[in-house]
Amino acid sequence: MIPLPIVDGTPRGSDRKLWRSRPHLEQDPNLTEQIPEELIPGAADAPSGNNRRHFMQLLGASMAMAGLAACRRPVEKIMPFSDRPEELIPGVPLHYASAMNFRGIARPLLVKSHDGRPVKIEGNPDHPNASGSSGVFEQASLLQLYDPDRSKHILRTGALSSWDDFLSLCQRFQIGNRRLAVLAAPDHSPTRARLQAQLENQFPDTQWIDYRSEGDDAETLGLQMAYGLPLQPTYDFGNADVIVSLDADFLGSHAKNGNWNTASFAQGRKLNGVQDEMSRLYVAESTYTTTGTMADHRRRMRSDAITTLASQIATALGVYSGTSPDTYASAIASDLQQSNGRSIIVAGESQPAEVHALCAVMNHALGAVGTTVTLSDTGAPVKTSQSEALAALVSEMQSGQIDMLLMLGVNPVYDAPPELDFQGAMRRVINTIHVGMYVDETAQTSTWHIPQTHYLESWGDGRSWDGTLTPIQPLIAPLYEDARSDIEILHALNGGQHAKGYDLVRETWASSLGEDDFEAAWRRILHDGYLRDTGYPAITAVPAFGGSLPEPKSGLELVTRLDPTLFDGSFANNAWCQELPDPITKIVWDNVVVLSPKTANDLGLVCEYSKGRYYSDIVTLAVNGQEVELPIWILPGHADDSVSVTLGYGREISTTRSERDTPFWDKDDETDIYARGTLATGVGTNVAKLRNALIQPVSHGVQLTATGQKARIVTTQDHGILDTEARPLVRSATLEEYRADPAFPLQEEAPTPSSGVKTDFSDYPELWKNQHPAKSPALRDSDYWQNQWGMVIDLNACTGCNACIVACQAENNIQVVGKKEVGNGRELHWLRIDRYFVTEGGEDLETDPQIVMQPMPCQHCENAPCESVCPVAATVHSPDGTNQMIYNRCIGTRYCANNCPYKVRRYNFYNWSKTIPATVQMAQNPNVSVRFRGVMEKCSFCVQRIRETQKRAGLEKRPLHRDEVTTACQQACSAEAITFGDLNDEESGVSRAVQNSRGYRLLAYLNIKPRVSYLARVRNPNQELEPAKSS
Amino acid sequence: MSSSIDKTVALPAEPPLVTGNLGFHDITQLVSYHTEKRPPSTWYFAIAISSTLLCVLLLMIAYLVWNGIGVWGNNNPIGWGWPIVNFVFWVGIGHAGTLISAILFLFRQQWRTAINRSAEAMTLFAVMCALLFPTIHVGRVWVIYWTLPLPNQMEMWPQFKSPLLWDVFAVSVYFLVSLIFWYVGLVPDLATLRDRARNRLRRHIFGFLSLGWSGANRHWRNYEKTYLLLAALATPLVLSVHSVVSFDFAVSIIPGWHTTIFPPYFVAGAIFSGFAMVMTLLILARKIYGIQNIITMDHLEKMAIIILLTGTMVGFAYITEFFIAWYSQVEYEQYAFLNRATGPYAWAYWTMMSCNLLFPQFFWIKRLRRSIPFLFITSIIVNIGMWFERFVITVISLHRDFLPSSWDYFNPTIVDVLTFAGSFGLFMTLFLLFLRYLPMVAIAEVKMVLPQSDPHFYDQRKSDNESQ
Repeated sequence: MIPLPIVDGTPRGSDRKLWRSRPHLEQDPNLTEQIPEELIPGAADAPSGNNRRHFMQLLGASMAMAGLAACRRPVEKIMPFSDRPEELIPGVPLHYASAMNFRGIARPLLVKSHDGRPVKIEGNPDHPNASGSSGVFEQASLLQLYDPDRSKHILRTGALSSWDDFLSLCQRFQIGNRRLAVLAAPDHSPTRARLQAQLENQFPDTQWIDYRSEGDDAETLGLQMAYGLPLQPTYDFGNADVIVSLDADFLGSHAKNGNWNTASFAQGRKLNGVQDEMSRLYVAESTYTTTGTMADHRRRMRSDAITTLASQIATALGVYSGTSPDTYASAIASDLQQSNGRSIIVAGESQPAEVHALCAVMNHALGAVGTTVTLSDTGAPVKTSQSEALAALVSEMQSGQIDMLLMLGVNPVYDAPPELDFQGAMRRVINTIHVGMYVDETAQTSTWHIPQTHYLESWGDGRSWDGTLTPIQPLIAPLYEDARSDIEILHALNGGQHAKGYDLVRETWASSLGEDDFEAAWRRILHDGYLRDTGYPAITAVPAFGGSLPEPKSGLELVTRLDPTLFDGSFANNAWCQELPDPITKIVWDNVVVLSPKTANDLGLVCEYSKGRYYSDIVTLAVNGQEVELPIWILPGHADDSVSVTLGYGREISTTRSERDTPFWDKDDETDIYARGTLATGVGTNVAKLRNALIQPVSHGVQLTATGQKARIVTTQDHGILDTEARPLVRSATLEEYRADPAFPLQEEAPTPSSGVKTDFSDYPELWKNQHPAKSPALRDSDYWQNQWGMVIDLNACTGCNACIVACQAENNIQVVGKKEVGNGRELHWLRIDRYFVTEGGEDLETDPQIVMQPMPCQHCENAPCESVCPVAATVHSPDGTNQMIYNRCIGTRYCANNCPYKVRRYNFYNWSKTIPATVQMAQNPNVSVRFRGVMEKCSFCVQRIRETQKRAGLEKRPLHRDEVTTACQQACSAEAITFGDLNDEESGVSRAVQNSRGYRLLAYLNIKPRVSYLARVRNPNQELEPAKSS
Repeated sequence: MSSSIDKTVALPAEPPLVTGNLGFHDITQLVSYHTEKRPPSTWYFAIAISSTLLCVLLLMIAYLVWNGIGVWGNNNPIGWGWPIVNFVFWVGIGHAGTLISAILFLFRQQWRTAINRSAEAMTLFAVMCALLFPTIHVGRVWVIYWTLPLPNQMEMWPQFKSPLLWDVFAVSVYFLVSLIFWYVGLVPDLATLRDRARNRLRRHIFGFLSLGWSGANRHWRNYEKTYLLLAALATPLVLSVHSVVSFDFAVSIIPGWHTTIFPPYFVAGAIFSGFAMVMTLLILARKIYGIQNIITMDHLEKMAIIILLTGTMVGFAYITEFFIAWYSQVEYEQYAFLNRATGPYAWAYWTMMSCNLLFPQFFWIKRLRRSIPFLFITSIIVNIGMWFERFVITVISLHRDFLPSSWDYFNPTIVDVLTFAGSFGLFMTLFLLFLRYLPMVAIAEVKMVLPQSDPHFYDQRKSDNESQ
């Protein structure tokens, strides 16, 4: 207590005494109690509850606590703001290097923190295995941190427990020869490896299984088959002339090394002039994937028939004796041979290990290893099949031989094959401990559940794809007190003592870095986000493949894939991921059985389109003794006699949040996506249980029977096969045509064929004439006038992977509206990726179309049609040439959206931002207004980033550096398909890209002068397979 | 000698505008009586229904303002749905009154006198319904006044290039001028009601409203001049208001909207629908109030001819649009019109075509022009067709424009439907109150066109009697 002279009643330096009553004067020890009593007894007390003083104390304390709760910082280095850390300026964000474990690989990140809250995730640009770009899941993992449905408490058989209780369990467990089994999500963390070794030392009979919901890692097993070691291949697509993908979606968002592959692939596809070469991509696949859309020659085939193609190519190359090659295979083979080692053959996750082994042999035979394919030794021991190990474990569990089962970040009750009856086996184990971010299916059946920390909350480490050691730094203290990281739990099991993750990680690194100067080195590593020169060593070896490829079977096949937006279900409760359209089907909030038009026709299944809504037949999908009911989706370009499903749906996550209930006249409970329990629960159907005990991606003997019911499927795009000649939206040509006429996109410009080609519209009269607001003296005198922002999107590089959409959503506080409202056409994505099917010539319209993608942000027209129609001037032009939305001024007439020819404007039909949970509010970018209902919004070219950079430059008294400003979409894009910058600077990236002869502006004939231009797509077909059409 | 002079004087007899040989007092009595007696039970029945609908409208607006525009069917490509369709629909209906009062007055079409009062009242009420929709259709209705050029310390003015702003001015000026015009025309009749009033309250109210009218020569002179001037002022407004409304569409760049034919086409359509609405209302009113002698079959037939004329003009415009789309050779333009006739909304398009172009053609047949049931049915069909015309223009053009990726479909919600139905409640409630409290026929003006108002009328009758 701070002594206050007035309260004490004794003014310093004076004998004068102030007193209020006689007891006071007599210095009664019960003075404080006596004073109120001197009035009427009890007069100062409240009739019930706390008295005034208590109330005021609580009020003050809770205000102080409320303030504290907003600034959670890692406990290891917590400092109050009154003693401000030197680098921290309130309102100015800080960036920290960290990493996210994705499929066992650490993806290096740079995370932006605003006053202690992580608000945006980017790739770490300095990291040797990252280019500053990021994918869908890194971007979306931010919302995962703030997910209101995250598990908050340690549970023991469903009741609240504590970390101390768990520690005492661990202590009891130390005694005797206990049998421990661990199912853990793959992770290359050195600290975890160290703790695993210690654990195996302590409990020699420990079974450790790296559990993947998608089953065996066929690629590693295949390379192990060929080389004898589980080598890891790295493909340099940028240097390859010929790339063959056998069902490999290496550009997909869920590909292990997807960002690297996309960046490298795009390097080989960029054309800055006619002299540039580009790679040729052959893709054979059963369903349409992101990689398939980039193919120059795509062949749709059943997944199990791709072994035949592999065999044919290998036979033609002379490394295997199999089926004699057909035209397609021999064309590929001769193309491969002519490329002199600048080629890559890559097999996909749905292919058996044998195909991967054969690909390794072919790559070696073609001389690709060393030029375009690098094999590295990860130092991992020889791998065994996960499914076999799992089956063995389950039988031991059944017979009661396992004393404790630890499940680290996995959910086997949800995704283990039902043949194993994992849930039943769990009941025979006394201690089943689940560590996860949600009280999910497995947590609900485990005896213990410990909330897992998010990677932004806990210390860790990992290795990036190339092996570089990468630390994982937390940016925020765990939002929930009970949450623990994997390594803390492993350490607790091994001795029953609590240790901080920070110390555990440092211990590991200290032993490898040495004690000398450890602190300096450690600080440096944390700053950089990696340790230099720690990549895996590249090795050269001669592969051999002595086996034979499995023969394709007949009958309908089922291919189970990881979902491009929900992954294996671990992102199922993430609103951004649920609302992210599938890159191909554009379906949101649902999973479907995808099949080809012919197969659907054969089975008599339809997907009806009526009044803007899709009603799909629900079928019973029966295989391996299991059946599920799912709606179908007909996808042109899908292989016949094959059906595809994706994992990750049909989750059951429990939450402690109460449901939102509003009176009948208030629609908040309908429009709030968080209103009714967890997001993931009830969305789609779990297809993981369709797999047999071997967890193979391809199943046979599939029965599809219509149930007679229909389900509404919601997509963000209407069905539509676009006749390319009719609407020159996505313009493309073959490499030859491009070389013959580098400016071919302009030839498609004029919408009026008879008036000849019109490419220059400067003679068109302008609505504004000299009155254009951007030309007014007030704007010209502005300093902002110096920069004129523009964007160029290279359609030859864009794969349509969706990373930009999530990046935009995270940066710009774009709210999620839910399935029903997307179905009503009210999604809010500022950036969308338009997908068009293209059919040329006499190809069968529905079976073999190509797919082209076109990212569509606001085009920031110089003669913006939206601006001239707004009655209140709520959308105006900025001096630096962007079209701005003034949310405060908008009254919501929606006229601007009507008059936008690109339809990129998005309207707040409901008050989406009103209902977002408190934790999700923390994910909002403080530099971007959260929009109220009734106002229009749209892409702003990330104006907050432009202004932030300009402010920084202003403070540093310097002009902007060249290309210093990046937009969120551009920063995320691994393919570097988006170039943004200052058109006034002739040397800027965007100015150079604008000069590219492939450039064109969409709907240029409207004379609206969009600031975004596109670089046309160029295909590089093989002459053998596709003779030049003319001359 | 005298008989030969008589022959030269006799003019080809025009059919009388008022039948039944009614005198001045008969007219006064016939019209005023309805505002003075207890209303018939039909009236109570009608006002019960329409005021219920009005309550529905108010509830729907409350629901809308509480929750947001999402309660309607509007979506991303279709930013304007039913509310704007309803707006244009009601503005269109609001055309007939002023056209009948002002333009036909200037053209000395005396048959207008029987219907101009109720037509003008209908105009005002329709424009009130019309003004309601753009007001409530904005996302933040509480700041709708930002569309008005109110001086403010931020010097923030509306954006004068926006056709929506022109709308604000055009429709509100039209409403004000129509209101004044209607009121000026009412003054002599209000004085009549004042003079007939049996109680103090009534006398005072009508006395206040009739502005001290005494029927003096000076009053009549001023009245007639004012009326003429207001007619001249209202005439361009009749043409301008719907032209400006059409600019909402024509000034944009969306295929199907960006059309220079819109102003005349919209005006023709507005007159078309306005006359149809007048016909619907008057067929009922003349029957219920027994004023078939004032609003005669000839009046109805004349209106039918105007409906035939404007309907054909509108139909011509529909076909011209198609021709121009083909002639322009612009892919997007051609698709927009092809999509109207063959796309997912073909049913709406063909409803519009048959209601607006086909049905009025039956009016070439005189027998049908003079058949009350047929006129009544056709007048309703025409208004259904005209509602669909606005739907076709607004929704079909928006649902598929340039980029196929953003195409979608519009499904109205129950709130859309009830709001539209509720607007009829507002309209009918006001119209029924008008019938109850104000003279539904311009008494003074009808008296001017009575045969009796001819100074030689009695002479003529006398000589007729003599010759007999």
